Amino acid sequence: MICEECNLNEARFAVTMNINGETCVRHLCPSCMQAMNTSFRGGNVAGVLAAILSAITSGDRRSSDEEEREESVPDITCPRCGTAYAEFHRTGRLGCPGCYVAFREQLQPMLQQIHGRVQHAGRLPLENAEAQRSRTRQEELTRLMQQAVALEDFETAAQLRDQIHALAGEGGDRA
Amino acid sequence: MSHSAVLSSRIRLARNYEDLPFDAGREGVAATCISRTANALALSGEDNGFRLLTMSAVGEEGRMLLVESHLISQDLTRFPDSAVLLRESDQVSVMMGEEDHLRIQAVSPGLCLSDTAARCFAIDDALSRHVRFAYDPQLGYLTAFPTDTGTGMRASLLMHLPMLAHHKQMGSVGQIAAKVGLTARGFYGEGSEALGDIYLISNQVTLGRTEDEIIATVTALGEQLSGMEGELRVHAMKERRLQTEDRIWRAWGLLQNARLLPLNEFYRLWSSLRLGAVLGQLDVDLDAIDTLPVEVQDAHLRAKSETGLTGEALDAARARRVRSLIRPARLT
Repeated sequence: MICEECNLNEARFAVTMNINGETCVRHLCPSCMQAMNTSFRGGNVAGVLAAILSAITSGDRRSSDEEEREESVPDITCPRCGTAYAEFHRTGRLGCPGCYVAFREQLQPMLQQIHGRVQHAGRLPLENAEAQRSRTRQEELTRLMQQAVALEDFETAAQLRDQIHALAGEGGDRA
Repeated sequence: MSHSAVLSSRIRLARNYEDLPFDAGREGVAATCISRTANALALSGEDNGFRLLTMSAVGEEGRMLLVESHLISQDLTRFPDSAVLLRESDQVSVMMGEEDHLRIQAVSPGLCLSDTAARCFAIDDALSRHVRFAYDPQLGYLTAFPTDTGTGMRASLLMHLPMLAHHKQMGSVGQIAAKVGLTARGFYGEGSEALGDIYLISNQVTLGRTEDEIIATVTALGEQLSGMEGELRVHAMKERRLQTEDRIWRAWGLLQNARLLPLNEFYRLWSSLRLGAVLGQLDVDLDAIDTLPVEVQDAHLRAKSETGLTGEALDAARARRVRSLIRPARLT
Protein backbone atom coordinates (compact mmCIF):
# COMPACT_ATOMS: atom_id res chain seq x y z
CA MET A 1 0.00 0.00 0.00
CA ILE A 2 1.23 3.49 -0.88
CA CYS A 3 1.50 6.18 1.84
CA GLU A 4 -1.67 8.29 1.90
CA GLU A 5 0.31 11.36 2.88
CA CYS A 6 3.04 11.62 0.22
CA ASN A 7 1.64 9.08 -2.26
CA LEU A 8 5.23 8.04 -2.94
CA ASN A 9 6.60 5.55 -0.42
CA GLU A 10 5.36 2.22 0.83
CA ALA A 11 3.03 2.69 3.84
CA ARG A 12 4.35 0.82 6.90
CA PHE A 13 2.20 2.34 9.66
CA ALA A 14 -1.52 2.35 10.21
CA VAL A 15 -2.42 5.34 12.39
CA THR A 16 -5.82 5.50 14.02
CA MET A 17 -7.03 9.07 14.33
CA ASN A 18 -10.05 10.37 16.12
CA ILE A 19 -11.44 13.33 14.25
CA ASN A 20 -14.49 14.85 15.82
CA GLY A 21 -15.65 11.55 17.25
CA GLU A 22 -15.09 9.67 13.98
CA THR A 23 -12.33 7.12 13.93
CA CYS A 24 -10.40 6.74 10.71
CA VAL A 25 -7.23 4.86 9.81
CA ARG A 26 -4.42 6.48 7.84
CA HIS A 27 -1.64 4.50 6.20
CA LEU A 28 1.68 6.30 6.36
CA CYS A 29 5.29 5.71 5.33
CA PRO A 30 8.06 5.99 7.98
CA SER A 31 9.08 9.53 6.98
CA CYS A 32 5.52 10.91 7.01
CA MET A 33 4.91 9.10 10.31
CA GLN A 34 8.02 10.75 11.73
CA ALA A 35 6.93 14.14 10.38
CA MET A 36 3.53 13.76 11.99
CA ASN A 37 4.98 12.70 15.34
CA THR A 38 7.39 15.62 15.33
CA SER A 39 4.68 18.09 14.46
CA PHE A 40 2.40 16.79 17.23
CA ARG A 41 5.18 16.85 19.79
CA GLY A 42 6.38 20.33 19.01
CA GLY A 43 2.82 21.59 19.22
CA ASN A 44 3.23 22.46 15.54
CA VAL A 45 -0.37 23.19 14.68
CA ALA A 46 0.45 23.47 10.98
CA GLY A 47 1.49 19.82 10.88
CA VAL A 48 -1.46 18.73 12.97
CA LEU A 49 -3.85 20.67 10.79
CA ALA A 50 -2.30 19.37 7.57
CA ALA A 51 -2.76 15.84 8.98
CA ILE A 52 -6.39 16.57 9.83
CA LEU A 53 -6.98 18.21 6.48
CA SER A 54 -5.57 15.35 4.50
CA ALA A 55 -7.44 12.89 6.72
CA ILE A 56 -10.65 14.70 5.90
CA THR A 57 -9.90 14.92 2.21
CA SER A 58 -8.64 11.33 2.06
CA GLY A 59 -12.24 10.35 2.77
CA ASP A 60 -13.18 12.31 -0.34
CA ARG A 61 -10.33 10.72 -2.23
CA ARG A 62 -11.50 7.22 -1.48
CA SER A 63 -14.96 7.92 -2.84
CA SER A 64 -13.56 9.88 -5.76
CA ASP A 65 -11.22 7.00 -6.56
CA GLU A 66 -14.26 4.83 -7.04
CA GLU A 67 -15.78 7.36 -9.35
CA GLU A 68 -12.37 8.02 -10.91
CA ARG A 69 -12.60 11.72 -10.27
CA GLU A 70 -9.74 14.04 -9.39
CA GLU A 71 -9.96 15.71 -6.00
CA SER A 72 -10.69 19.35 -6.70
CA VAL A 73 -9.36 22.28 -4.69
CA PRO A 74 -11.44 25.40 -5.32
CA ASP A 75 -9.65 28.04 -7.36
CA ILE A 76 -10.14 31.01 -5.03
CA THR A 77 -7.67 33.72 -4.03
CA CYS A 78 -8.01 36.11 -1.10
CA PRO A 79 -8.39 39.58 -2.65
CA ARG A 80 -6.69 41.21 0.34
CA CYS A 81 -3.42 39.27 0.64
CA GLY A 82 -3.34 37.18 -2.55
CA THR A 83 -3.20 33.82 -0.74
CA ALA A 84 -4.63 31.07 -2.95
CA TYR A 85 -6.96 28.54 -1.34
CA ALA A 86 -4.69 25.78 -2.69
CA GLU A 87 -1.82 27.24 -0.66
CA PHE A 88 -3.90 27.20 2.51
CA HIS A 89 -4.99 23.66 1.69
CA ARG A 90 -1.32 22.63 1.52
CA THR A 91 0.04 24.49 4.57
CA GLY A 92 -3.00 24.84 6.83
CA ARG A 93 -2.06 28.47 7.30
CA LEU A 94 -4.20 31.46 6.31
CA GLY A 95 -2.71 34.62 4.81
CA CYS A 96 -4.59 37.40 6.57
CA PRO A 97 -7.86 38.06 8.45
CA GLY A 98 -9.46 38.66 5.02
CA CYS A 99 -8.94 34.98 4.12
CA TYR A 100 -11.69 34.14 6.61
CA VAL A 101 -14.08 36.12 4.38
CA ALA A 102 -12.70 34.89 1.05
CA PHE A 103 -12.66 31.19 2.09
CA ARG A 104 -15.69 31.34 4.38
CA GLU A 105 -17.63 28.65 2.52
CA GLN A 106 -14.71 26.19 2.71
CA LEU A 107 -13.70 27.16 6.26
CA GLN A 108 -17.11 26.61 7.86
CA PRO A 109 -17.18 22.79 7.45
CA MET A 110 -13.48 22.64 8.37
CA LEU A 111 -14.00 24.62 11.58
CA GLN A 112 -16.99 22.40 12.33
CA GLN A 113 -14.73 19.34 11.94
CA ILE A 114 -11.98 20.76 14.14
CA HIS A 115 -14.02 22.37 16.90
CA GLY A 116 -17.45 20.76 16.62
CA ARG A 117 -19.06 24.22 16.68
CA VAL A 118 -18.89 27.32 14.49
CA GLN A 119 -20.32 30.03 16.73
CA HIS A 120 -17.85 31.88 18.92
CA ALA A 121 -18.56 32.05 22.63
CA GLY A 122 -16.38 33.96 25.03
CA ARG A 123 -14.39 37.14 25.21
CA LEU A 124 -14.61 39.89 22.62
CA PRO A 125 -12.62 43.06 21.98
CA LEU A 126 -13.73 45.91 24.27
CA GLU A 127 -15.48 47.92 21.57
CA ASN A 128 -17.44 44.87 20.39
CA ALA A 129 -18.32 44.15 24.01
CA GLU A 130 -19.71 47.69 24.41
CA ALA A 131 -21.65 47.43 21.15
CA GLN A 132 -23.07 44.08 22.28
CA ARG A 133 -24.11 45.51 25.67
CA SER A 134 -25.85 48.38 23.88
CA ARG A 135 -27.67 45.94 21.55
CA THR A 136 -28.80 43.79 24.46
CA ARG A 137 -30.07 46.91 26.29
CA GLN A 138 -31.93 48.05 23.17
CA GLU A 139 -33.57 44.63 22.82
CA GLU A 140 -34.60 44.72 26.47
CA LEU A 141 -36.06 48.24 26.12
CA THR A 142 -37.92 47.23 22.94
CA ARG A 143 -39.46 44.29 24.77
CA LEU A 144 -40.56 46.58 27.63
CA MET A 145 -41.97 49.09 25.15
CA GLN A 146 -44.04 46.39 23.44
CA GLN A 147 -45.34 45.32 26.84
CA ALA A 148 -46.29 48.92 27.68
CA VAL A 149 -48.12 49.29 24.35
CA ALA A 150 -50.00 46.06 24.99
CA LEU A 151 -51.04 47.42 28.39
CA GLU A 152 -52.00 50.73 26.69
CA ASP A 153 -49.51 52.59 28.93
CA PHE A 154 -48.53 54.96 26.11
CA GLU A 155 -46.66 57.41 28.34
CA THR A 156 -44.15 54.74 29.43
CA ALA A 157 -43.97 53.42 25.87
CA ALA A 158 -43.04 56.89 24.58
CA GLN A 159 -40.32 57.27 27.23
CA LEU A 160 -38.90 53.85 26.31
CA ARG A 161 -38.98 54.73 22.61
CA ASP A 162 -36.93 57.87 23.33
CA GLN A 163 -34.39 55.83 25.30
CA ILE A 164 -34.09 53.34 22.44
CA HIS A 165 -33.53 56.15 19.93
CA ALA A 166 -30.90 57.69 22.19
CA LEU A 167 -29.03 54.37 22.45
CA ALA A 168 -29.24 53.79 18.70
CA GLY A 169 -27.91 57.31 18.16
CA GLU A 170 -24.88 56.63 20.37
CA GLY A 171 -24.15 53.46 18.40
CA GLY A 172 -24.37 55.43 15.16
CA ASP A 173 -21.89 58.04 16.43
CA ARG A 174 -19.30 55.36 17.32
CA ALA A 175 -19.53 53.64 13.97
CA MET B 1 -7.21 18.41 48.15
CA SER B 2 -3.73 19.14 46.95
CA HIS B 3 -2.93 18.41 43.34
CA SER B 4 0.75 17.64 43.66
CA ALA B 5 0.85 16.06 40.21
CA VAL B 6 0.36 19.49 38.57
CA LEU B 7 3.70 21.20 38.03
CA SER B 8 2.45 24.39 36.38
CA SER B 9 -0.45 26.11 34.63
CA ARG B 10 -0.11 28.03 31.39
CA ILE B 11 -2.45 30.21 29.34
CA ARG B 12 -1.67 31.43 25.84
CA LEU B 13 -3.89 33.82 23.86
CA ALA B 14 -3.42 34.30 20.11
CA ARG B 15 -4.28 37.78 18.82
CA ASN B 16 -3.77 39.38 15.40
CA TYR B 17 -3.95 42.90 14.04
CA GLU B 18 -6.87 43.37 11.71
CA ASP B 19 -4.95 45.26 9.02
CA LEU B 20 -1.78 43.13 8.76
CA PRO B 21 -1.10 39.86 6.91
CA PHE B 22 -0.43 36.91 9.27
CA ASP B 23 2.93 36.24 7.64
CA ALA B 24 5.38 37.61 10.21
CA GLY B 25 8.24 36.76 7.86
CA ARG B 26 6.99 39.41 5.41
CA GLU B 27 8.99 42.61 5.52
CA GLY B 28 7.84 45.10 8.10
CA VAL B 29 5.07 42.95 9.63
CA ALA B 30 7.00 41.90 12.74
CA ALA B 31 8.39 45.43 13.22
CA THR B 32 4.88 46.93 13.03
CA CYS B 33 3.58 44.33 15.53
CA ILE B 34 6.37 45.17 17.95
CA SER B 35 6.10 48.97 17.83
CA ARG B 36 2.30 48.93 17.87
CA THR B 37 2.09 46.53 20.82
CA ALA B 38 4.78 48.29 22.85
CA ASN B 39 3.08 51.65 22.26
CA ALA B 40 -0.38 50.35 23.16
CA LEU B 41 0.95 48.76 26.34
CA ALA B 42 2.69 52.01 27.31
CA LEU B 43 -0.43 54.10 26.56
CA SER B 44 -2.55 51.80 28.71
CA GLY B 45 -0.16 52.23 31.63
CA GLU B 46 0.16 48.43 31.93
CA ASP B 47 3.80 48.39 30.83
CA ASN B 48 5.26 48.47 34.34
CA GLY B 49 7.84 45.74 34.84
CA PHE B 50 7.96 44.75 31.17
CA ARG B 51 11.18 44.74 29.21
CA LEU B 52 11.47 44.37 25.46
CA LEU B 53 13.81 41.70 24.11
CA THR B 54 14.31 41.31 20.37
CA MET B 55 15.28 37.81 19.26
CA SER B 56 18.17 39.12 17.18
CA ALA B 57 19.65 41.04 20.13
CA VAL B 58 19.47 38.26 22.73
CA GLY B 59 21.53 35.88 20.58
CA GLU B 60 21.25 32.11 20.27
CA GLU B 61 22.16 31.27 23.89
CA GLY B 62 19.78 33.92 25.18
CA ARG B 63 16.97 32.54 23.06
CA MET B 64 17.64 29.01 24.32
CA LEU B 65 17.57 30.22 27.94
CA LEU B 66 14.16 31.83 27.37
CA VAL B 67 12.80 28.70 25.68
CA GLU B 68 14.13 26.42 28.44
CA SER B 69 12.55 28.71 31.05
CA HIS B 70 9.21 28.43 29.18
CA LEU B 71 9.12 32.24 28.82
CA ILE B 72 8.94 32.07 25.02
CA SER B 73 7.87 29.36 22.58
CA GLN B 74 10.35 27.42 20.47
CA ASP B 75 8.41 28.76 17.46
CA LEU B 76 9.29 32.36 18.29
CA THR B 77 13.00 31.60 17.76
CA ARG B 78 12.24 30.61 14.14
CA PHE B 79 11.30 34.21 13.35
CA PRO B 80 14.45 36.35 13.34
CA ASP B 81 12.55 39.67 13.47
CA SER B 82 10.36 38.65 16.41
CA ALA B 83 10.50 40.00 19.96
CA VAL B 84 9.00 39.49 23.39
CA LEU B 85 7.74 41.86 26.05
CA LEU B 86 8.62 40.09 29.25
CA ARG B 87 7.50 40.60 32.85
CA GLU B 88 9.48 38.03 34.75
CA SER B 89 8.00 38.81 38.20
CA ASP B 90 4.80 36.94 37.34
CA GLN B 91 5.95 35.16 34.18
CA VAL B 92 3.93 37.13 31.64
CA SER B 93 5.22 37.25 28.05
CA VAL B 94 3.81 38.99 25.02
CA MET B 95 5.42 37.28 22.04
CA MET B 96 5.32 39.39 18.90
CA GLY B 97 5.84 38.33 15.29
CA GLU B 98 5.35 34.57 15.69
CA GLU B 99 2.83 32.49 13.69
CA ASP B 100 0.25 34.89 15.11
CA HIS B 101 1.03 38.58 15.55
CA LEU B 102 0.71 38.26 19.32
CA ARG B 103 0.79 35.39 21.74
CA ILE B 104 0.03 36.62 25.23
CA GLN B 105 1.25 34.03 27.73
CA ALA B 106 1.27 33.63 31.50
CA VAL B 107 2.63 30.74 33.56
CA SER B 108 2.07 29.92 37.25
CA PRO B 109 3.29 27.09 39.43
CA GLY B 110 0.69 24.51 40.48
CA LEU B 111 -2.94 24.28 39.43
CA CYS B 112 -4.39 27.78 38.93
CA LEU B 113 -5.53 28.33 35.35
CA SER B 114 -8.13 31.00 36.22
CA ASP B 115 -5.66 33.32 37.97
CA THR B 116 -3.14 32.73 35.20
CA ALA B 117 -5.76 33.57 32.56
CA ALA B 118 -6.69 36.76 34.44
CA ARG B 119 -3.14 38.06 33.92
CA CYS B 120 -3.43 37.41 30.16
CA PHE B 121 -6.90 39.00 29.97
CA ALA B 122 -5.61 42.15 31.72
CA ILE B 123 -2.99 42.56 28.97
CA ASP B 124 -5.54 41.69 26.26
CA ASP B 125 -7.98 44.35 27.55
CA ALA B 126 -5.23 46.94 28.00
CA LEU B 127 -4.09 46.44 24.40
CA SER B 128 -7.58 46.32 22.90
CA ARG B 129 -8.28 49.83 24.23
CA HIS B 130 -5.69 51.15 21.77
CA VAL B 131 -5.51 48.66 18.89
CA ARG B 132 -7.96 46.75 16.73
CA PHE B 133 -7.67 42.95 16.80
CA ALA B 134 -8.95 40.75 13.97
CA TYR B 135 -12.34 39.61 15.23
CA ASP B 136 -15.50 38.25 13.65
CA PRO B 137 -18.81 38.10 15.57
CA GLN B 138 -19.42 34.54 14.40
CA LEU B 139 -15.90 33.11 14.44
CA GLY B 140 -14.38 35.10 17.29
CA TYR B 141 -10.69 36.02 17.19
CA LEU B 142 -9.19 35.29 13.77
CA THR B 143 -5.87 33.47 13.82
CA ALA B 144 -3.26 32.26 11.33
CA PHE B 145 -4.40 28.65 11.85
CA PRO B 146 -8.08 27.62 11.98
CA THR B 147 -7.10 25.36 14.89
CA ASP B 148 -6.86 28.45 17.14
CA THR B 149 -9.86 30.41 15.84
CA GLY B 150 -12.47 31.55 18.37
CA THR B 151 -11.05 32.25 21.80
CA GLY B 152 -7.50 31.87 20.46
CA MET B 153 -6.78 30.37 23.87
CA ARG B 154 -4.70 27.37 24.90
CA ALA B 155 -4.98 26.40 28.54
CA SER B 156 -2.36 23.84 29.57
CA LEU B 157 -1.29 21.94 32.63
CA LEU B 158 2.17 20.44 32.96
CA MET B 159 1.73 17.23 34.96
CA HIS B 160 4.01 14.65 36.53
CA LEU B 161 2.28 11.28 36.19
CA PRO B 162 4.82 8.54 36.97
CA MET B 163 2.32 5.95 38.20
CA LEU B 164 -0.17 6.39 35.35
CA ALA B 165 2.81 6.04 32.99
CA HIS B 166 4.13 3.01 34.92
CA HIS B 167 0.77 1.28 34.51
CA LYS B 168 0.76 2.23 30.81
CA GLN B 169 -2.46 4.22 31.17
CA MET B 170 -1.42 7.32 29.24
CA GLY B 171 -2.80 5.91 25.96
CA SER B 172 -6.29 5.68 27.46
CA VAL B 173 -5.82 9.07 29.12
CA GLY B 174 -5.19 10.50 25.65
CA GLN B 175 -8.36 8.88 24.32
CA ILE B 176 -10.43 10.24 27.22
CA ALA B 177 -8.91 13.69 26.72
CA ALA B 178 -9.75 13.63 22.99
CA LYS B 179 -13.40 12.94 23.80
CA VAL B 180 -13.70 16.26 25.64
CA GLY B 181 -11.68 18.29 23.13
CA LEU B 182 -8.36 18.04 25.00
CA THR B 183 -4.97 16.47 24.27
CA ALA B 184 -2.39 14.80 26.50
CA ARG B 185 1.16 14.42 25.23
CA GLY B 186 4.72 14.02 26.47
CA PHE B 187 6.38 17.36 27.10
CA TYR B 188 10.07 16.45 26.84
CA GLY B 189 11.54 14.02 24.32
CA GLU B 190 11.04 12.99 20.73
CA GLY B 191 7.93 11.48 19.16
CA SER B 192 5.71 9.71 21.66
CA GLU B 193 8.32 9.84 24.45
CA ALA B 194 7.44 11.50 27.75
CA LEU B 195 10.76 11.94 29.52
CA GLY B 196 10.43 12.34 33.27
CA ASP B 197 6.79 11.16 32.96
CA ILE B 198 5.97 14.83 32.33
CA TYR B 199 2.82 15.42 30.27
CA LEU B 200 1.14 18.48 28.87
CA ILE B 201 -2.65 18.50 29.07
CA SER B 202 -4.29 21.20 26.95
CA ASN B 203 -7.42 22.12 25.04
CA GLN B 204 -7.58 21.41 21.34
CA VAL B 205 -10.97 23.01 20.77
CA THR B 206 -10.93 26.82 20.80
CA LEU B 207 -14.19 27.74 19.04
CA GLY B 208 -17.68 27.61 20.53
CA ARG B 209 -16.63 27.31 24.17
CA THR B 210 -16.02 30.27 26.46
CA GLU B 211 -12.64 30.72 28.11
CA ASP B 212 -14.22 29.75 31.44
CA GLU B 213 -15.63 26.54 29.97
CA ILE B 214 -12.26 25.62 28.47
CA ILE B 215 -10.46 26.34 31.74
CA ALA B 216 -13.05 24.33 33.69
CA THR B 217 -12.63 21.33 31.34
CA VAL B 218 -8.82 21.36 31.49
CA THR B 219 -8.89 21.87 35.27
CA ALA B 220 -11.36 18.99 35.68
CA LEU B 221 -9.14 16.62 33.71
CA GLY B 222 -6.10 17.83 35.68
CA GLU B 223 -7.86 17.15 38.97
CA GLN B 224 -9.06 13.76 37.78
CA LEU B 225 -5.60 12.70 36.65
CA SER B 226 -4.12 14.03 39.88
CA GLY B 227 -6.63 11.94 41.82
CA MET B 228 -5.95 8.80 39.78
CA GLU B 229 -2.20 9.30 40.11
CA GLY B 230 -2.62 9.76 43.89
CA GLU B 231 -4.62 6.54 44.22
CA LEU B 232 -2.03 4.59 42.21
CA ARG B 233 0.72 6.00 44.46
CA VAL B 234 -1.12 4.84 47.57
CA HIS B 235 -1.67 1.48 45.91
CA ALA B 236 2.04 1.22 45.05
CA MET B 237 3.03 1.91 48.66
CA LYS B 238 0.56 -0.70 49.90
CA GLU B 239 1.04 -3.49 47.40
CA ARG B 240 4.55 -2.92 46.06
CA ARG B 241 6.16 -0.97 48.86
CA LEU B 242 9.60 -2.54 48.60
CA GLN B 243 9.82 -2.15 44.83
CA THR B 244 8.59 1.43 45.00
CA GLU B 245 11.04 2.34 47.77
CA ASP B 246 13.82 0.65 45.87
CA ARG B 247 13.04 2.71 42.77
CA ILE B 248 13.06 5.94 44.79
CA TRP B 249 16.22 5.28 46.78
CA ARG B 250 18.14 3.99 43.78
CA ALA B 251 17.32 7.22 41.97
CA TRP B 252 18.41 9.19 45.01
CA GLY B 253 21.70 7.29 45.18
CA LEU B 254 22.47 7.87 41.52
CA LEU B 255 21.53 11.55 41.57
CA GLN B 256 23.69 12.09 44.67
CA ASN B 257 26.69 10.24 43.31
CA ALA B 258 26.70 10.35 39.51
CA ARG B 259 29.57 12.32 38.03
CA LEU B 260 28.22 12.25 34.48
CA LEU B 261 24.49 12.74 34.02
CA PRO B 262 23.06 12.69 30.47
CA LEU B 263 19.74 14.51 30.14
CA ASN B 264 17.68 11.38 29.34
CA GLU B 265 18.99 9.56 32.43
CA PHE B 266 18.37 12.67 34.52
CA TYR B 267 14.68 12.74 33.52
CA ARG B 268 14.20 9.08 34.45
CA LEU B 269 15.83 9.55 37.86
CA TRP B 270 14.12 12.90 38.47
CA SER B 271 10.71 11.24 38.04
CA SER B 272 11.52 8.73 40.82
CA LEU B 273 13.02 11.48 42.99
CA ARG B 274 9.86 13.57 42.76
CA LEU B 275 7.71 10.51 43.39
CA GLY B 276 9.75 9.87 46.55
CA ALA B 277 9.30 13.45 47.77
CA VAL B 278 5.54 13.43 47.13
CA LEU B 279 5.21 10.08 48.94
CA GLY B 280 7.13 11.49 51.90
CA GLN B 281 9.93 8.96 51.40
CA LEU B 282 12.53 11.62 50.74
CA ASP B 283 12.79 14.77 52.78
CA VAL B 284 13.63 17.01 49.85
CA ASP B 285 11.98 20.35 49.09
CA LEU B 286 9.42 19.80 46.29
CA ASP B 287 9.95 23.31 44.92
CA ALA B 288 13.67 22.62 44.51
CA ILE B 289 12.85 19.36 42.72
CA ASP B 290 10.40 21.14 40.42
CA THR B 291 12.99 23.71 39.32
CA LEU B 292 15.47 20.96 38.34
CA PRO B 293 14.15 20.08 34.85
CA VAL B 294 14.71 23.70 33.80
CA GLU B 295 17.95 24.29 35.73
CA VAL B 296 19.78 21.32 34.19
CA GLN B 297 18.99 22.15 30.56
CA ASP B 298 22.02 22.87 28.35
CA ALA B 299 21.72 26.65 28.05
CA HIS B 300 21.09 27.02 31.79
CA LEU B 301 24.22 24.99 32.56
CA ARG B 302 26.26 26.97 30.03
CA ALA B 303 25.00 30.26 31.52
CA LYS B 304 26.42 29.17 34.90
CA SER B 305 29.77 28.19 33.46
CA GLU B 306 32.58 30.41 32.24
CA THR B 307 33.54 28.23 29.34
CA GLY B 308 31.21 27.01 26.60
CA LEU B 309 30.22 23.48 27.66
CA THR B 310 29.60 20.65 25.21
CA GLY B 311 29.16 16.87 25.30
CA GLU B 312 30.54 15.18 28.44
CA ALA B 313 31.37 18.50 30.08
CA LEU B 314 27.64 19.27 30.00
CA ASP B 315 26.82 15.90 31.59
CA ALA B 316 29.40 16.60 34.31
CA ALA B 317 28.01 20.10 34.94
CA ARG B 318 24.49 18.62 35.12
CA ALA B 319 25.58 16.08 37.75
CA ARG B 320 27.19 18.89 39.83
CA ARG B 321 24.16 21.13 39.47
CA VAL B 322 21.78 18.39 40.64
CA ARG B 323 23.96 17.71 43.72
CA SER B 324 24.06 21.39 44.61
CA LEU B 325 20.31 21.93 44.20
CA ILE B 326 18.91 19.02 46.18
CA ARG B 327 19.56 18.86 49.92
CA PRO B 328 20.67 15.57 51.46
CA ALA B 329 17.71 13.52 52.59
CA ARG B 330 17.07 11.52 55.70
CA LEU B 331 15.08 8.30 56.01
CA THR B 332 11.51 8.84 57.12
